[in-house]
Amino acid sequence: MIEVDAISKEFAGRPVLRDLDFRVPDGRITALLGANGAGKTSCLRIIAGLLRPDAGTVRVGGIDVARDPLGVRRQLGVVGDREGLYERLTVEEYLTLFARIQGITGTALRQSLDDVRRELELEPLWKRRTRGFSQGERMKVSLARALVHRPQHLILDEPTRGLDVLAARLLRRTLLRLRDAGTTILFSSHVMSEVLELSDTVLVMAAGRVVGSGAPQALMREAGCSNLEDTFVALAYGERRVQGGGVPA
Amino acid sequence: MNRLASILRGPGGALLYKEFLEAWRDRRALWMAICFSLMFPVMLAAGSVFMLKKHTEEDTRLALLGAAHAPLLEDRLRGGSLKVDALDGGDPAALLAGDYDIVLSVQDGFAEGYRNFEAPPLYLYIDSSSSAAVRAQRHLQERLGVFRQLVVQQRVIARGVAPQLLAPWHLEVRDVSTPSRRGAMLLAMVPGLLILTLFVASLATSVDTSAGERERLSLETLLLQPLPAWQVILAKTLAVASMGWAGALLALVALVSLMPLMPLAELGIQQATTASGVLTMGLLLLPLALLVAVVQILLALRSRSFKDAQTQLSILQVAPVVLLMMLDMSRAELGGFLWQLVPLVGQQQWLKALLVGETVPLMTLLAGSGATLLLVAVAIRFGATALQRESLLSAA
Repeated sequence: MIEVDAISKEFAGRPVLRDLDFRVPDGRITALLGANGAGKTSCLRIIAGLLRPDAGTVRVGGIDVARDPLGVRRQLGVVGDREGLYERLTVEEYLTLFARIQGITGTALRQSLDDVRRELELEPLWKRRTRGFSQGERMKVSLARALVHRPQHLILDEPTRGLDVLAARLLRRTLLRLRDAGTTILFSSHVMSEVLELSDTVLVMAAGRVVGSGAPQALMREAGCSNLEDTFVALAYGERRVQGGGVPA
Repeated sequence: MNRLASILRGPGGALLYKEFLEAWRDRRALWMAICFSLMFPVMLAAGSVFMLKKHTEEDTRLALLGAAHAPLLEDRLRGGSLKVDALDGGDPAALLAGDYDIVLSVQDGFAEGYRNFEAPPLYLYIDSSSSAAVRAQRHLQERLGVFRQLVVQQRVIARGVAPQLLAPWHLEVRDVSTPSRRGAMLLAMVPGLLILTLFVASLATSVDTSAGERERLSLETLLLQPLPAWQVILAKTLAVASMGWAGALLALVALVSLMPLMPLAELGIQQATTASGVLTMGLLLLPLALLVAVVQILLALRSRSFKDAQTQLSILQVAPVVLLMMLDMSRAELGGFLWQLVPLVGQQQWLKALLVGETVPLMTLLAGSGATLLLVAVAIRFGATALQRESLLSAA
């Protein structure tokens, strides 16, 4: 479980997150839905330990990020809003690097590499350096890097941005399979159809706060809207807070 | 030692391997390192040839036409660096276009005019478009001036006048420089150039691995891994230093290889660099390579962008050479023990000594290198803190 308790964050005196509180339950997919500037990326970066909150605490799998950031990173896979590949390494070298950094060696290393190669259909790219890869190829490699150590928790920041239909479909399929295998997934997105298809729980963020949370259908019902987009607009811009689905906000 | 081995086998070793792969696969950085490392020994070799040519050119070749009319003059001019060829005749312009820097013509009635105190003319032909003309003219006039003074002295003495009355003082300029000293000046540049090579050869790699990674967001990916920040900085420092050190070693080997082709003996330089001396010099540069690398990385991490980092490091690479030159010009006693502990200064002094075949006390080398490594450790610690700055992240 990812537990976010009353975190606040300011950049140059401008509040970005205000008393943010939520839980991401184990083995579920939770979507962080919000407009640009709502604080989604800052929130994900705080969970990953890249930023420090001004107040509040974050625990991943029961470990406090501020106290044991390395411990958290061992059980966390992160796909950022850009891929951050090393263009002079082949896909195999790149994934081997991150598996070894996570302490995987020997036959376990070989097994992990084989698994991600097969699951993410990386065979054609395996021996190629990542320079010149398409957006979809870059995302696949980045996702493979986040998964190579089989993390218990996975965080993705707008993972389907810039992907073509096939790549987005592969990504969605992979996330659902990981969820079914028990991985806890938190992702941010603007794409309503994707949120609706993937998420068990939606957290709607506006101005640094969670303004609504719950299962998508429950949120729509409680907001009195027929689709998620209207629900999002009503919650984010309509000054309405909706509680549903049993996830504390 | 066990701890180091365990780091190399573990995640730290994986990171180190990645940093080396990235650094050495960067063709642009590699070419920059190779080109500069080879360029300076080649330029130095060319410089030595030029210096020898200039030294040889210090001989002025004079064609003396009509020498039979003034045999004493010919005797007085001959000697030193003035090479006099007494010719029966010839066209001055043709002679100047040939082997001669200057032509002096003595006319038929010179001896008679000289005896009668008529100040007979001497004709001096020069080619003012030649770079050697001014020097040759000055050279001849100096020699003639001394001779003229002697003649005047003899004439006034013959008339009972003390020659001192005509000459309140007598100035002689004596150049005490020797070819060996001029050659030493050439070798004195080598330590500074080797240190400069460390900076230039590692510049592109240090910018790429710090500011470059930050712009490509791969640094963020790295910071998301369960790695202590000091290991990240250390791995980057080692990879960057390997490039700078390899560049300096290449320059050193190229320099030693080119030495047989350089006219060192003619310049009065005795080649005293031995294989063990080269090895020692290489080893001495290693701590400095590490310091240069970590300082470059820290500066690049502080810069606002890749381009900003390039600009800052370009300035930085000139700074040590300027600093060393200023110290040389200040005539500070750099041989003192405390100076040997100062990075850059210590290495420069040791390299200078080793290049001319002198020895440096082992304790001095160890203490100075230890001081440099201590600074490297402090810089890595500082860099680890810098990596945790939120401003490093693009969106923060």
